[in-house]
Amino acid sequence: MREFETDVIVVGGGAAGLAAAITAAENGAEVTILEKANTTGGCANMAMGLLGVETKLQKERLIGITREQAYEKFMDYTHWRSDAKLVKKYIDQSAGTIEWLQDMGVEFALPSKYFPGSEATWHIVQPKSGKPGLRAAATMIKAMTERAEELGVKIMLETPVKGLIKEDGEIIGAAAKDKEGDLEIFGGAVIITTGGFGDSPEFIEKYTPYEWGKDLYSYRIPGLTGDGIQMAWDAGAGKDYMDMELVFFAPNTGGYAPIELPFRQPNVFVNLDGQRFYNEAVVENPVFSVNAISRQKNRVAFSIVDDKIMKKYEENGFDLINVVTSSMDMNDFKQEMEEHLKNGSDVFYVADSLEELAEKTGINKDGLIAGIAQYNDMCQTGDADFNKELKYMTPLDGSKFYALKFAPSAYGSLGGIRINDMTEVVDDSLNTIPGLYAAGTDANSVCNPDYVFVLPGNTLGFAVNSGRMAGKNAVTYIKEALAE
Amino acid sequence: MKTVTITIDGHVLAVDSGDSILKAALKSDLYIPHLCHHPDLPDISACGLCVVEIEGIEGVKSACSTAVEANMIICTKTEKLNKMRRLSMELMLANHVDDCTTCPKYLKCELQSLIQYLGVSTARLKRTLNAVPVNTSNPLFVRDLNRCVSCGRCVRACRDLRGVDVLDYQVMEDDRIMVDVRQHHRMTEENCRFCGACVEVCPTGALQDKEGVFTADLNREIGLSPCRSACPGQINVPKYIRLIKEGQYQEAIAVIRERAPFPHSLGYVCMAFCEDQCRRKEINEALSVRELKKFAAAQDQGLWKDKVGIKTASGKKVAIIGSGPAGLTAAYYLKKSGHEVTVFEKLPVAGGMLTTGIPAYRLPRQAVQAEIQVITDSGVKILTDTEITDLEALKKLGYDKILIAIGAGQGTRLPIDGADCDNVLENIAFLKNAALEISPKLDGRVVVLGGGNVAFDCARTARRLGATEVSILCLESREGMTASPDEIEEGLAEGIQIINDTSFYAIENNDNHATGANCRKVESFSFDENRKMQLKLVPDSEHVIPADTIIFATGQRPEIPAGWDLPVIGGNLIASADEVKVKDSSVFLAGDVSYGTHSVIRAIASGRKAAVAIDLALGGDGKIEDVLAAEEVTGSWLGRDETFLKKQREQPAQENPETRITGFAAVTDCLSANNACKEAERCFQCDLRVAITKPKFWASYGIK
Repeated sequence: MREFETDVIVVGGGAAGLAAAITAAENGAEVTILEKANTTGGCANMAMGLLGVETKLQKERLIGITREQAYEKFMDYTHWRSDAKLVKKYIDQSAGTIEWLQDMGVEFALPSKYFPGSEATWHIVQPKSGKPGLRAAATMIKAMTERAEELGVKIMLETPVKGLIKEDGEIIGAAAKDKEGDLEIFGGAVIITTGGFGDSPEFIEKYTPYEWGKDLYSYRIPGLTGDGIQMAWDAGAGKDYMDMELVFFAPNTGGYAPIELPFRQPNVFVNLDGQRFYNEAVVENPVFSVNAISRQKNRVAFSIVDDKIMKKYEENGFDLINVVTSSMDMNDFKQEMEEHLKNGSDVFYVADSLEELAEKTGINKDGLIAGIAQYNDMCQTGDADFNKELKYMTPLDGSKFYALKFAPSAYGSLGGIRINDMTEVVDDSLNTIPGLYAAGTDANSVCNPDYVFVLPGNTLGFAVNSGRMAGKNAVTYIKEALAE
Repeated sequence: MKTVTITIDGHVLAVDSGDSILKAALKSDLYIPHLCHHPDLPDISACGLCVVEIEGIEGVKSACSTAVEANMIICTKTEKLNKMRRLSMELMLANHVDDCTTCPKYLKCELQSLIQYLGVSTARLKRTLNAVPVNTSNPLFVRDLNRCVSCGRCVRACRDLRGVDVLDYQVMEDDRIMVDVRQHHRMTEENCRFCGACVEVCPTGALQDKEGVFTADLNREIGLSPCRSACPGQINVPKYIRLIKEGQYQEAIAVIRERAPFPHSLGYVCMAFCEDQCRRKEINEALSVRELKKFAAAQDQGLWKDKVGIKTASGKKVAIIGSGPAGLTAAYYLKKSGHEVTVFEKLPVAGGMLTTGIPAYRLPRQAVQAEIQVITDSGVKILTDTEITDLEALKKLGYDKILIAIGAGQGTRLPIDGADCDNVLENIAFLKNAALEISPKLDGRVVVLGGGNVAFDCARTARRLGATEVSILCLESREGMTASPDEIEEGLAEGIQIINDTSFYAIENNDNHATGANCRKVESFSFDENRKMQLKLVPDSEHVIPADTIIFATGQRPEIPAGWDLPVIGGNLIASADEVKVKDSSVFLAGDVSYGTHSVIRAIASGRKAAVAIDLALGGDGKIEDVLAAEEVTGSWLGRDETFLKKQREQPAQENPETRITGFAAVTDCLSANNACKEAERCFQCDLRVAITKPKFWASYGIK
């Protein structure tokens, strides 16, 4: 068995792990990152940006949200279910984190809202070419990887960690495996940052109300198997609030695909009974929408539009836009529609009548016809069911009908390892496990019970900020232990 | 090759004169972005990422297709070059699915790592992707053209590296040019060799192995050969199969001997977990690995013996209780490691289940005896007819360590009425007596209770001992039986009746003499999530199956002497942390006694593991490996072969059933040299893929 020694061991080289490693190294520690993949970044390679409050970028654009306002909004939204001290530290640190990244060479395109009703806290990374889009944060990962290496951080790729090494109640190292076999790394502190359990149907079934592939079609970023959470639990860590970072997608279309464009609009959403179930203007908030969809039969909903609405969107653009899809238009939709028609689809349907649409989609026929008739009436009189604004009330009376099936999805998971506001891992009785820290999605129970979409950038934001905290706290812990 | 000096980005490098700029840079640990380049393939300068500027030469050059020249001064990281690279990347990405999250290549993808390195996003260019369905039509590979960037590495791997030439650029229905199988055929139609080289070199998720073909989380050398990773002994199967094909039988047996001292026995009776995982079974039946092993063992001239390493005497003594495959394997390796080894066997013959469990018609005794002879020749002492009832007494005789390898030699009788009648027998005892030739002749009707391989051993032995009518009675349906298909087929041929879907609840008896089995018909049976049996019986289906002898073949367990005073788990296994070491003692375990009834090959693997642990505990280095076969230089060329996929599995001949049941001679012959060679030619040689260089990603280079 090969043995190594270092000061700080970081399990997982994603955004949180890199942030922790850089910070620990900046504070003088020798750091080793153990990463099971061939490259760094983990799920952050698909991310776009992170939360910042009171940043220079915001001030330059007259975006006035203050730390106090953001904090209040966060705690109101979570009903104080999240660790209030940890959230305070996170928001207060967030502007500094953006500058810290900028000093490493990361450029940000703009602080953005996610949708009109949210705050412009989302600092989207500017790629080296073109407009910011999906995967923009991969550029940030490169800057962070280089910064880490410049500070002497040892990044061991293709080295999955198998478990923590505990002695006399303290975590003193990690057992791992690389191409040459087993190895043990000993250090003063271990920080777990493995990105959650988004790729583990077993975890999802056990710890959330969903079953993957049945009523949940979430991203399964390979490698997010909950291994870090499990090893923390095995070492005595407590369990904190766990859920999926829910949104809604048309199943198996990839998420925010062009096929969704005209359907992710405030028209008519019905359940399998053909009945509306919410104010479709809420569609811009994916978290609220998925909560409403999850209450319906089989946890599915259908968004229905007719040819007149399609034409309107083609000519005048959409009613609602969000940042992720802002670069796409109806041409992209039409291209994908052709592919669905050509290759066959179990989510996208076209019909010449509502009867035919009901048959194709499996929606109750009588319910659908009655429901749409009632809706069309209300387009004149007002939405007596859900108070939707009249400007979004367009009757469905064209000669062609289109439907898209939506179901719960998720970007990944939220939470698992219980930490305190010092990012120390604690057991169920809130006693710390000395030497063990966790950050990022593994420990993101601050979004409780829902992802805080009103302040966008929370997943990557919490990852980088809690990673920084953990890196600093771990070094302080080691220094104190040495001083004793 | 001459060495020349060049300068790249200010770094003065001494490089081989024949290399391209890209090759020279990468060898010097200096990264230049690239995608269509692969270290094992000819370069085609297609992706446009490795562009460089050379002082004194106008324009930009592809680093992969420009040879180094003495004193060249090269820039690889200028803003101009990065802009060109980003444009090339954006063009590729516009034609590539946006969604990486469902791609199994995530974080192992060279394209993704280039997105990181070059800082590219997709949002600028218009998407040119025309989605096509993911092709899962062949049994081993998934081809997802939506993720293909037309780098052509797979085409070159198939054509230039392997000479199979199945893939090429083809014009698709919508006039786009994409990589496809020639003439848009299926891979089998173009005589694909399924070597996996195309998957291995694919930088993205466009070509993947189907899920479940390989076990994740194993190192490449073993993981890429499913036969080898499935083998508890991790015998290098592809290597010895290739040697058989080449006629190098002595080398082949040496390869097997490196991992197991009972190759011939395994050739007869191995459960061949390798064959269950063989990738060829997806095309037309797995390789007959076991028969090939038997063939190789039958040719053994013992040339490998000269290469066996024997360490100097350590002065330590090890006692091994039990002379089955686990105990004797450990004995052999411990003796080689310099320790004095004595094996204690309570029966009159050594070999454990190999000699007194498995019937001789399946495993001829002389094969086992010859293999035991090699072990005793090495200096291992075997004391037969010696039962150890007291471990402390053994320790007092001066043994430093004790290895318990007693196997699972006690048959189990179910606690039902009549189970103890004088004509009701237990599987293991019955087979043992038959093997020792102390079993009485049988006649009349024999009913065997149980549906596993041991039940067949009992039934077929009973037939050979004279029983006129033999039935196997089991809960399972024919399809659900745990016995191997070979056993079922051979048993039926020998006239064994199989009564399926039947539960027995008592032995009909009269004055301590059984006259039949009381049975009920089974409507359904399964195991719930707690592995508890859920049995549903047909109402009013009670009936009696008459019998003159009844044999329980319903499991077996270790027979642990009461005086040993060792921790026991699961009712009848000796407890250990890692199946080897008994806590706080000088006692070690190997074989069935530590993990329950399993296979000969697992017993051998377990014996090796125990030998390592004991050697370490005695102050040795724990290195028991021998290199008995020469290191192999494998080529990468397979060539085209129109008959390859059509080759059928070779079967050795069998004695006819009427002759078979008159005695205990071997049922199955050995493959002829000709047939063995033909069979070996069917191998996909999955292991050749290991030799393909794995490209490094940007983060792994020193200068980037």
